[in-house]
Amino acid sequence: MNGMTYGAWICLLSPLVATVLILLGGTTLSRRAAAWLATTSVFVAFGGAVWAFLGVHGDQVTQNRSCIDFGVHCQAQGELTTAWTWLAAGSFHVPLQLLVDPLSTVMMLVVSGVGGLIVLYSIGYMDGDPEERRYFAYIAFFVFSMLLLVEGGNLLLLLVGWGLVGLSSYLLIGFWHEKPSAVRAAKKAFVMNAFGDATMALALFIVIAHTNRLSFDALGASFSGTAANWIALGLLGGAVAKSAQIPLQTWLPDAMEGPTPVSALIHAATMVTAGVYLIARTHVIFEQARTVELVAAGLGALTLLVAGLIALVQTDIKRVIAYSTMSQIGYMFMGVGVGAYSSGMFHLMTHAFFKATLFMTAGLAIHALSGEQDIRNMRGLGKLMPFTKWCFLAGSLALVGIPPFSGFFSKDPIIASAGALGSHGEWYGWVFWLCGIAGALLTGLYTFRLWFLVFPGEPSAFVLEHHHKQGRFGEGPWTMLVPVGVLAVLATFGGWLQWTPHWDPLTKWLQYVTPTLAVAEPSSTLETVTSVAAVLAGATGIAIAWAIYAEKRLAIPKLPAVQRVLENKFYFDELYDRVFYAPSVALANVLRTEVEEPVIVQGGADLGQTTLDAGGAVRRIQTGLLRTYVFFLAAGAAILVLAFLIAK
Amino acid sequence: MSGPGTSWYLALAAFLFGLGALGVLIRRNPLIVLLSLELMLNGGNLALIAFSRHFVNGSGQIFGLAVMAVAASEVCVGLGLVVAINRKKLALDVDRLSELRG
Repeated sequence: MNGMTYGAWICLLSPLVATVLILLGGTTLSRRAAAWLATTSVFVAFGGAVWAFLGVHGDQVTQNRSCIDFGVHCQAQGELTTAWTWLAAGSFHVPLQLLVDPLSTVMMLVVSGVGGLIVLYSIGYMDGDPEERRYFAYIAFFVFSMLLLVEGGNLLLLLVGWGLVGLSSYLLIGFWHEKPSAVRAAKKAFVMNAFGDATMALALFIVIAHTNRLSFDALGASFSGTAANWIALGLLGGAVAKSAQIPLQTWLPDAMEGPTPVSALIHAATMVTAGVYLIARTHVIFEQARTVELVAAGLGALTLLVAGLIALVQTDIKRVIAYSTMSQIGYMFMGVGVGAYSSGMFHLMTHAFFKATLFMTAGLAIHALSGEQDIRNMRGLGKLMPFTKWCFLAGSLALVGIPPFSGFFSKDPIIASAGALGSHGEWYGWVFWLCGIAGALLTGLYTFRLWFLVFPGEPSAFVLEHHHKQGRFGEGPWTMLVPVGVLAVLATFGGWLQWTPHWDPLTKWLQYVTPTLAVAEPSSTLETVTSVAAVLAGATGIAIAWAIYAEKRLAIPKLPAVQRVLENKFYFDELYDRVFYAPSVALANVLRTEVEEPVIVQGGADLGQTTLDAGGAVRRIQTGLLRTYVFFLAAGAAILVLAFLIAK
Repeated sequence: MSGPGTSWYLALAAFLFGLGALGVLIRRNPLIVLLSLELMLNGGNLALIAFSRHFVNGSGQIFGLAVMAVAASEVCVGLGLVVAINRKKLALDVDRLSELRG
């Protein structure tokens, strides 16, 4: 044990301790105390993450020096810390262990850092909710689960974290359980995630069958092509379900039924990006099954377009941002799918900053308008809420990828890496590249449609009627404004951490764990061309949005058929209803009428009645007369004796 | 070896057993029923001991001792019941003590 492992354990356990304390405390804990306990625990976790990060950083510096000085072989850096053997079955055992390495520390910092700010924001947002304590217990539990997912030192612990984030997401989406729509959304999210969990578990079984281990390096064993493909496909199933990519994307927009901080934390900043982390973490197996990896990239490219298109017609402020999240995760999938893992992780990080900013400013607006979420009613809100307006603008510009905001630095390398694949002679690389650029245009369009509809201009009658000032600053209590401000600053400057190819500390930091594939290394010309193209596309999107929604110089194109398709989200829900839901209901009905009622229900009743009748018939024998009994006994004995005698 | 042959003993044993069984079947006084039961047990015991002598094998006698112990304890319980029935001023008639009928 050394600094970095202590840090990792503190980081993992502190939110769990908070959960347990809030649960055990019950009503003896005031609501405020529960809220602050949860917040503090997550910030303590952030402290642990920083400690672990510094530990790994120190190691890396030392080791780099020795690599250079002595030319020794550089190992993947990191440390596995084992608490005890958790599961043992014959020669197969799984220890309870944490992995502290560059990749997991980056995730720990993002999860606990952004998580801490969002939990702080919830103090203001959830103030006055009668079940605040339950909320904070859930959210601390979520942070614990997410940290277990990213710190778990083997595939099984990763799967445990994976399942637990699904559970806490279910609990938090359905937090307002008196709303039937929230309960439905929670169930939908849980079922879709459970599907992904199942495919992941199947993949792990194949790993066990081939290597008898579940450690991460077991994936480095050489599998047969088929086995590698199935394992990668199973893991991809989990990643796609958790990250709401096509074809398992339909749960994410509905998940917006949960409280807004939950949307910011789980459905934007952390949990939904777990799929990207999973692919980066298990990239060894995906490289053995390169086709599956490219399928991941293709699904990402498809999702980023489809989600961007759907976002154009949504009218609920949170749903627009939700579809934008799907679209951005599509970028990340494309990045890790083509083999540019560190670019994918970098976009994950900046996305956590700017998407959390967007969600939380949207939360401020919703709060100020007493729960209104329809953007058609919100015109001119910026005049009444200048702070919200500017933070939202920072988040939007980062999302569109306008320099110097963070999205510019993280999105463009992904598109460039896709293009690099094309320049290495693989045609689909150019398809991905085009999708990326088209996605940038869509991003500009839908983001600034939202912006122009909600913030600039004179306040609409609805806004004037429903807006109410909150807190000392008029826009909300400080617990809500501070996190938004901090995240807006991060959304603005967070991208300066890396500007490929000129300055790439994050890629260097991650290169021992997830080295970028050679085929995904773009030439600097391609980088420049891509950046220019992406920024131009984004700016064009903004310009179109401005022309349509601010100046009204362009009419919204009237394409009723297209609009209907988009408003119905490409009919995915209807398709799944037809293909999975309706047949299951029909099958269940048939089973009820044909099997349950005649066989199980009637069978049970028949069994009971027969027993009763038999008992009624037999009870006459028991007369209560001792002498009758003795007579039968004697007669029986006599018959037996006779029988023996005759047989003799 | 002198005295009557084994078959005489067996005949006596069968007679005692039959007498006891008849008593159990036709008498209604529980006291007499218990008495008849003892007769049956003793008939069985006599047969055991006769066979034991016949085959020159001691285990029949040991078994006979065990039967006596059983008979003694059984009669303790039985007499206790009879006394209890009497104390409750119930009729000492096994035909009327038939509450356990189904």
